[in-house]
Order: sequence, then C-alpha cells, then structure tokens
Amino acid sequence: MPETFQALDTQVQDLKQDVLDLNRDLFMLEEELLFPANTQMAVFLSMDVSSFFQLDSVQLRLDDKQVANYLYTEREVDGLNRGGVQRLYLGNVKFGQHELVAFFTGKGPQDREYRRGATITFRKGEGAKFLELRVSDKQRALQPEFVIKEWE
Amino acid sequence: MRQSRQRTPALRRGLCLGVATCALLTGLPAAAAGLLDRAPAIPAAAPDTLAPIEVRDLHYGDVLFEFYNGDLSNALLKLRVYEAQGLLRHHADDAKLLLGGLYLSQGQHLEAGRLFAEVLDRPGVPPVVRDRARFLLGKVWYQRGYYAKAEQVLRQTGNTLAPEWAAERQQWLAQALLQQGKFDEAITLLSAWDAPSEWRGYAGFNLGVALIRAGRLEDGLRQLEVVGNLAGEREETAALRDKAWLAAGSALLKAGEAERARLAFEHVRLDGPFSTRALLATGWAYSALGQTDRALVPWLELQGHSVLDAAVQESYLAVPQAYSQLGADAQAAEQYEAALQAFAAEKVHLAESITALRQGRLMQMVSGNEGQALEGWLWHVRQLPDLPESRYLPHLLASHDFQEALKNYRSMLATEQHLDAADRGLDAFREMVALRRDRFARWLPPVLAKTDLVDLQKLHERATGLAATLGVAQTERDGTAFATPREHAVWAKLMKMEATFAARPGDPDLVDAREDHRLLKGVMQWNLSAAMKSRAFRAQRGLNETQDALVLSERARLHVNEARELSPARYADYELRINTLQPRLLAMQGRLRAARMTEERFLSLLAVRELEAEQARLADYEVRARYALAAIYDRAGAGKRP
Repeated sequence: MPETFQALDTQVQDLKQDVLDLNRDLFMLEEELLFPANTQMAVFLSMDVSSFFQLDSVQLRLDDKQVANYLYTEREVDGLNRGGVQRLYLGNVKFGQHELVAFFTGKGPQDREYRRGATITFRKGEGAKFLELRVSDKQRALQPEFVIKEWE
Repeated sequence: MRQSRQRTPALRRGLCLGVATCALLTGLPAAAAGLLDRAPAIPAAAPDTLAPIEVRDLHYGDVLFEFYNGDLSNALLKLRVYEAQGLLRHHADDAKLLLGGLYLSQGQHLEAGRLFAEVLDRPGVPPVVRDRARFLLGKVWYQRGYYAKAEQVLRQTGNTLAPEWAAERQQWLAQALLQQGKFDEAITLLSAWDAPSEWRGYAGFNLGVALIRAGRLEDGLRQLEVVGNLAGEREETAALRDKAWLAAGSALLKAGEAERARLAFEHVRLDGPFSTRALLATGWAYSALGQTDRALVPWLELQGHSVLDAAVQESYLAVPQAYSQLGADAQAAEQYEAALQAFAAEKVHLAESITALRQGRLMQMVSGNEGQALEGWLWHVRQLPDLPESRYLPHLLASHDFQEALKNYRSMLATEQHLDAADRGLDAFREMVALRRDRFARWLPPVLAKTDLVDLQKLHERATGLAATLGVAQTERDGTAFATPREHAVWAKLMKMEATFAARPGDPDLVDAREDHRLLKGVMQWNLSAAMKSRAFRAQRGLNETQDALVLSERARLHVNEARELSPARYADYELRINTLQPRLLAMQGRLRAARMTEERFLSLLAVRELEAEQARLADYEVRARYALAAIYDRAGAGKRP
C-alpha cells in the first residue's frame, strides 16, 4: 500500500481518468442506441441578449404531438443569458417532412404575460437533425423575437 | 456541422473563450475555497479577454449550459462525449481550456495541469485566463501537498490577477517555499511584497517564521511582533495575533530567553484557539526562570480543559512535578494519581477507537452519514455521530492528507455506485439490441416481398413517357389531349361522322347534318381549347407529384436495401461494443473497489497512526507519572524512617 498521500493520489487520479473514459464510451453507446443518427433530431434553445423577454417555459409540439414542456428556473435562464445553449429535446423522427411548433411563455415588455409561437417545417434526411430555438431582441420593434433555425 | 446562417457576433453575449473560461475559473475553485461570493467579477468585454465570438457548435453551448447550471460532472461528461463525436470542431481550444477547468473542479488536478500546460501558452489565450488557471492550479497543488509543482505554476502566474487573488497567490507561493524548506527564497519573496492590508498579517507571520527558521531570530521576532500588534476586532485577526505571539514566545523559549518568552505568551488570549499551548508554555517559561510557584498558575488553569488536548495532558505531569519541586509531595502524589486516572480513562477510549478504526467504523462515519451526495469536491464533515471514536475525528480532519484522501474515498464510492447502475444499463442495452435484431428479421421479408412486386424502373419510364406526351400536347396546343373520357367519346363520334360526310360528298340529304356537325365540332374545339390551360396545369402538377413519389419510393427502396445490408453489421457493432464495455466495466469496478479499499486502509492507517501516537504519548506520560509517584513514595518512606 502506498505510504504517502501523493503516491495514492496519483493512482487515484489515473483510475478516475480511466473511469471518465469508460463513462464517455457508455454514454455514447447509450445515445447511439436510443437515438441513432439516421433518426435522431435534437432541439436546442438559445437566448441572445433578452431585455424584452423573461423566459418562463417552452412547449414543443412535433407533428402535432407534445414532446417537451420545460419550466425554467432562474438559474437556467441566467445560464441561457450567459451563453449556454440548452438541449431541450432529443428524440427520433422518421425520414421526410415534419413540423415543429414551439410556444414560449414568459414576461414581455412592461412585465406583461407573453406567449408567442414559432413554427418550422423541416425535412429529416440521412444524418442527425439539429434545430435551434432562438430568443433575441428585436430592437426596432422593442419586442422579443422567436425564431427556429435549422442547422446542417 | 455547419451552421446554415450567420449571426451577428456582437449580439452573442458572453460566449468567448475568455469569458466562459474566466467564469469557470472564477467560480469553481473559488467555491472550493469557500470564496465564491468574494470571487472577483469578470467584465464581459474586458480588454484583455478575447473578442466575443459566437457559439458555432450548438453542443458547445450545451456544455456551457450544464456548466452554468452547476452540473459540473455532466458538463465534463458531455464535453468529452461531444469532443469524441467531433461536434466541437469550432471550439477546440475553448473546449480544452474548459475541460481543464472542469477537471480541476472534479479534483483531477494532474489532468488539469497537463491540459493547461498544453493550452495556456497558446497565443489566443488571454493573459487573464492564463493567470487565473495557473493560480487555481497552484492553489490546488499546494492544498494537495504538491509543493514543488505549486511553486512552479504559481511562479509562472502573471500580474493580471485581481488584487485579491494576486495577494492569495503570493501567500500560497510563500507557503509552498516554506514547506520545501526554501526559507531564503521565502524571505526574499515576502520582504519584497507590499501586501494589501487583509493579507499583511499572514505575510508578516510567514516572513517571521521564515526568518527564524533561517536562523535570523531577532529579525523574525520583529516581524512576529508587528503581526502580534495588528489592529482589528475580527476573530481571524485576533487568532493571527495569538499565533504570532505563541510562535515568538516558543522561539524565544527555545533560545533560552525565558523572560522575553513569558512576556510574549502573555499576549495570547485565554479564550482563543492557542490558549492551552500558551498556558503550558507560560508555565515552562516561569519554570525556566526558576519561578515554579508561578508556573503552577497557568498549568492548574489548563486542568479544566479537555484531556484530548496535548497541552492539557502535559500539564497533568507538569503540575505534580512543580508541587514536587516546591516540596509539596503530598499534593504532587495526589496530582500524579489524578493524572494516572485521566490517562487510564483516555487510554481506554483510544484503544476502543483504534479497534473501531481497524474494523472500518471510520469509513461508516465519514462516508455519507449526513445523507449528502457522495460526489463533490467541496464536501466537508459537518456533523459527527455520537460514537467514542468521533471525539478524535476533528483532530484527524485537521490533517490535510486525511481530508484530501477522504475526498478521494468518497468520490470513488460515488463512482462505484454510478458504475453499478451502468452495469445494469448494459444488460438492458444488450436486450434492446437483441429485440431490434429480432424485429428487423421479422420485418424485412414482407417488406422485400412488397418492394420486389413493384418495378420502379418501369414506373419511371411511364412517367417519362407521360411527360413527353404532355410536352407535345402543350407545344401543339392540342386540347383533345386533355379531354375527359366523355369528351373523347363525343369527339370520336364527331370524327366518325366527318368520315361519313367525306365518303358521301355532295349528298343533298346530308346538308343540314353537315351544318350541325360543323357547329358541334366548332363548339367542341372551343370548349377543349378553353379548358386546356387549366387542364395542362393540373396534369403537369399531377405528373410532378408522381415523379416526387417515385423519388421517395426510390429512396425508400434504397433505405430498405441499406438496412438489409448494414443493419446486421450495425447490430453486430453494438453487440461488440457492449461485449467490450462489459468486461471493461467489470474490471473498472474491481479496480475501483480495490482502490477504495486501499484508500480506506490508508485513511485508517493515518487515523490509527495518529491515535497510536497519542497512545504512545500517554503511555510515556503514564510511565513518567508512575516513576515520579514512586520516587515521591520512596522519599516519603525514607523520610519516615528515623
């Protein structure tokens, strides 16, 4: 047995690194099994500087079925405002045409209840499909703007 | 991955390597030191950070989201997964820096150090990020006892740190030098340091200690005296003052300057953390001055304190020794008896505790008795269970090695639990793959049978032929090409009548009929011509839809063919990965268990060593007490003899 803390600590650090590698491989296997690339789609949510909108929740409907309904904590909203991008939904869709509708609720300008929707029709092809819901400020209209962008 | 549109970089707040990493390096280890609230804020557009950049990989943003939410394990896992999946191509350097910070937050300081060494000197890394990373790494290395490494990295840290951290950096560096016995270097460093007021005391204390250890007693004492006279009402300042006077007095006592030592000890408060040591030392100072009666005052005062305290234990011997010197043998004997009783009781406690430690009870005490999560580098024992050995734990926990080894132990325990869950998950994956393979085997034959019935090539040819016909009809403006079946029938009759008229030219009986036919044909042509545009449009649309459907059918057939060819290999690949991961996982579980047990033995060894040292000290005191007591009895016996 190692007699000093450092000797033992070095062994533990090596072991933890191997554990991290194993965890990574396990996670990748799980994700590839549950969400294979040919059917995988992910929806991300990002916020650019949002002075006109305080996010409370987002509801996602994919092909007219609700797939996500997420309520945000203050910390999460802060994380989004600081540049985090949330992977809001990860699922499987068939090859072909689909429609995604997102409803955003929160506080709008003058602290009023605010609910807006955004829609996108997209085609699921061979690879994984990534969509980004983006909340930003529309400075000229002094209103928030909600758009859905397709990433390739 | 390529982004399908451009963003305005200026709108993207906070997403720069500098800011994100600063946030990481600001928040985490600062929290580790309990300094989160005091951590200096990083201005988003500080001139020495990188210019704001946009998040160009959504997955990098996802890692940041986890990080900002404080889920550091998940942020670390996702970062490594996305990196392996090639999803962070636009943020390779940011990712490495972030990874280094996350490793540091999880106690993986060696890996963090390796990554920082690789990335920090790159031209794109802002000095403020570089310096923070080095400062925090140095601090962790110092705390874990890697003094040489700590010194090296802290020396590399530049001058962009916020004043509070800059001061702390000097402090850690000085202590790293002291720990390595580099007193002269520590003196040079500390003498040149114009420390801010809140650090001046610590700097002065360290300088005083360094000077004394370097053999410059008077210089060291001057420094300690300055610290001992620091103004301030805070407990931290008062404790530092006590510590300085105690250190000064101890150095003086060692140098044979008992009176000056006594005066130094007198400055130490009676209710502070150093009071018992100061009381004991004051007694020894008096004793060295030949004032044994005065020495008794602080020593007797000590006897009201806990016998766990080494100074108190020593006083149990010092008091009767003093009585004996004063000729009060009866009182001395009484005190020695009391001391022996106290030592005996304590020895029983110690023996019980050592047995408990050897039986692994220590680990039960410290491995989750508070219902806290096992993970987390910031864990501390807050409540101790009411067990005999608990009384020694605070003493053990004061040892740095013990605390750090304990963190490793708890971290491994949490990892083991995680891997047990992963093991069950792998079984489920294996079953999932088997089910999919089975379902695929049942699904494929009927699908193939159906697709074989359809000749897509012929359908394509037909569609092509129809397109050509449509094109000709449109070019020639042939309305009949778009006629309905009923119109076709009427048109055919008209054509047949026209043939009859042609066969009987000049027949007077057909004059009226010819006129009627001419009118009807004209109406028919007019109607067909009027309807042609919309009919041609509809036909073209229908043809387009047919061609789209044919493309989809073609793709679907390709998918079926691809699935037929690739799926067995895909399932085999999954199975292979599961089969490879399972033994890796099992081996890892074994390694973890073994490492945890080694850590457990190490911790127990540290604890037992500590308690055995205590036992040995008590045994020594006991022997000395018995010997002194016997001597008193001998003297008493001899005195009674005429």
